[in-house]
Amino acid sequence: MTVDSQGTATAAPVDAPGRAAGKSKTPPPPSGPKEVLQPPRGRRSLPGGLLPYLLVAPALLSMAVLLLYPLIRNVVLSFQQVNKREMITRETVWIGFENYTKLLGDADFWGVVVRSVGFTAANVALIMLLGTLIGLLLNRLGKKMRLVLSLALMFAWAMPIVASVTVFRWLFDEQFGVVNWLMRTLGFAGYEQHNWFETGFSTLVIVMILLVWGSIPFVALNMYAGLTTVGTELYEAARMDGASGWRTFWSVVFPNLKPFFMITTFLEVIWIFKAFAQVYAMNLGGPDRGSETLPVYAYIEGLGQQHYGLAAAISILTILMLIAAMSFYFRLILKQEDES
Amino acid sequence: MKRKLIAAIGVAGMMVGIAACGSEDGKGGTDASGNKTLTVWVMDGSAPDAWMAEVNKEFEAKHKGVKVKVEKQQWNGIQERVTTALSEDTPPDVLELGNTQTAGYAATGGLADLTGDKAKLGHDGWNKGMLASNELDGKLYSAPWYAASRVVVYDKTAFKKAGVTPPKTRQEWIDGLKKLKASDPKTQPIYLPGQSWYVYAGFVWDEGSDLAVKDGDKWKGNLSSPQAAAAMNFYKELQSYSTAPKDKDEATPQQSTDIVPKGGVASWVGLGWEAGGAIDAMKKAGKTADFGYFPIPGKTADKPGSVFFGGSNLAIAERSKNKDLAKEWLALAAGKQQMTAYAKATEGGLLPNTDAAQFKPAAGSFAEAMAKASSVGKITPVTPGWANVETAPNPIKDYMTKVLKGEDPKKAGEAADKVITERVNQQ
Repeated sequence: MTVDSQGTATAAPVDAPGRAAGKSKTPPPPSGPKEVLQPPRGRRSLPGGLLPYLLVAPALLSMAVLLLYPLIRNVVLSFQQVNKREMITRETVWIGFENYTKLLGDADFWGVVVRSVGFTAANVALIMLLGTLIGLLLNRLGKKMRLVLSLALMFAWAMPIVASVTVFRWLFDEQFGVVNWLMRTLGFAGYEQHNWFETGFSTLVIVMILLVWGSIPFVALNMYAGLTTVGTELYEAARMDGASGWRTFWSVVFPNLKPFFMITTFLEVIWIFKAFAQVYAMNLGGPDRGSETLPVYAYIEGLGQQHYGLAAAISILTILMLIAAMSFYFRLILKQEDES
Repeated sequence: MKRKLIAAIGVAGMMVGIAACGSEDGKGGTDASGNKTLTVWVMDGSAPDAWMAEVNKEFEAKHKGVKVKVEKQQWNGIQERVTTALSEDTPPDVLELGNTQTAGYAATGGLADLTGDKAKLGHDGWNKGMLASNELDGKLYSAPWYAASRVVVYDKTAFKKAGVTPPKTRQEWIDGLKKLKASDPKTQPIYLPGQSWYVYAGFVWDEGSDLAVKDGDKWKGNLSSPQAAAAMNFYKELQSYSTAPKDKDEATPQQSTDIVPKGGVASWVGLGWEAGGAIDAMKKAGKTADFGYFPIPGKTADKPGSVFFGGSNLAIAERSKNKDLAKEWLALAAGKQQMTAYAKATEGGLLPNTDAAQFKPAAGSFAEAMAKASSVGKITPVTPGWANVETAPNPIKDYMTKVLKGEDPKKAGEAADKVITERVNQQ
């Protein structure tokens, strides 16, 4: 985003919107050449007025088809009674807010909500903590070890979800699990046939290990990428002032990477809150429905129990909860934009 | 700049989270050249491949330009798949439905009414015991196909070593398990996972009770009854001789192929196709199965224990584009001639829909033990709502796990009854 590149006639029109946005922060000193170059720029930006919209149209269109339309259908569905019979006969039975009032008055639903929120909080906290630590480690490692660690992270990240859940299920299997074998070999008693999925809580703990393991790479690699943008002179200055490592992190790294922490945390909140395959495939929401989080609850009520309307209402409520959480994020972003 | 980069990464990340769904290719109907495809859904373990090929060969020879496409389905999660399939414009033309689930689908209007085709389908020759689950309010919605029940499969060598002979009563059964345990502590006398609810249903019937009972014109769950508790206590006693998980059913892991072939199991309760699967799996692993079979023992020696008379029916989708062809196929596959071949192909491990097609089981075979038990076969309550009870998470399974882990049967039964009553009265 150098000033002189803006003036060159070879600049492609595609650059126009981005350049205009980037320019606002570094206004070029008004000078002679600017006046001369203004006409061609004006001419180019005229078709540019429509062109950007044309260029984003395919993306918007696909999002409308893949996201907006299903969302609208889902809202409509949540006001209908759609069970096995209605599904097959294609009868439309409007029941207003009945699905919602039923859910909001159901203790099971609130139990699932509390469980989901707690589960998400625990997961995100762990992911951010461990991911940040590994990111810092990546930054400090030598070239070779960094490559090895990055590769290991990439492999963990690239593992298909259901495959990794299957591996975890077998690791913690009651009869043939490696973990039970390991505990026995290490000399712990009571692991002949320890059931790691005995309660909903223990099941969720294992799901958490899986989710944290699978999410760390994203945070760690992004953290490392973010760290490379922090100038070494800042570290040097901190060291000159005699700051400890802890202090350096909080006073130098953290403020610099605050946007990074924010976006990553919120992305993880979204991902964990709506994580379905990992939770469902681990123990099908069991035992006794004890490990159901909101998406799993919606799936079991919808597809398992064949109450499709009710499941739609659950998912709408889930979306509303996420939007409420996300509104904090957007407020923060907007506030920051104002400040800078 | 930094913030933008991060935001871009964020957006990219969100996009990755949007999963695209694949769409199934069009099935059924007629293609451009006028060729028709008849889609048939059968369950895993129902139809021997060779028999199926023979039926389709005969059918395709009779109906030029028609191809039969057989799609094998797994029992796990079958209800959601059938519901979705029946709601589509091009559903499978013929579907195999479990006999406990047929009434539920008949009530939805998703199945074609076959009342007018009784003669063509051979209605008069059908086994009366199998017929009940095919009818709803006096109309016929499917043709019975086969039925089967569970028997105890045992390892002859292990039984011989412990000096145990096939028991006739529950007491003898337990005594035998004790002896087996004493003779080889490393082997489980019986492999019985905690959620084998069809076995448990048999014990409830032995008490003269049922899983759900009629209450006026409604149904209600009956697991909090003293009979259900007595049945569960016997199940618990039996289960104490097994190291199988208390919170799993016989299909996870699959007992026949994942557990028994590994060894260390002296006996287990299974179906004919499971015994066959175990024999094959052991052959592959270089072992030889030496199985004997006996019916689940009853309270007294004069009558074997009640068993769940599981089975399947063949139905035609109401929205099928080839209803007439589907009826032809049904009449052929479930007709006497092909059923005789079927009974032979399964070696009597599955009972055909008509006694005339019955295969005489070999001595000492699975089929022989099953035939002894079929006199006391029963099915779950015949009401459209029963199918809802069986959908996951199944309240009967959760009840069993709770009691096995020490909860009071009455208390656990009340919790389960609440769910059963709610579901069984839904359509």
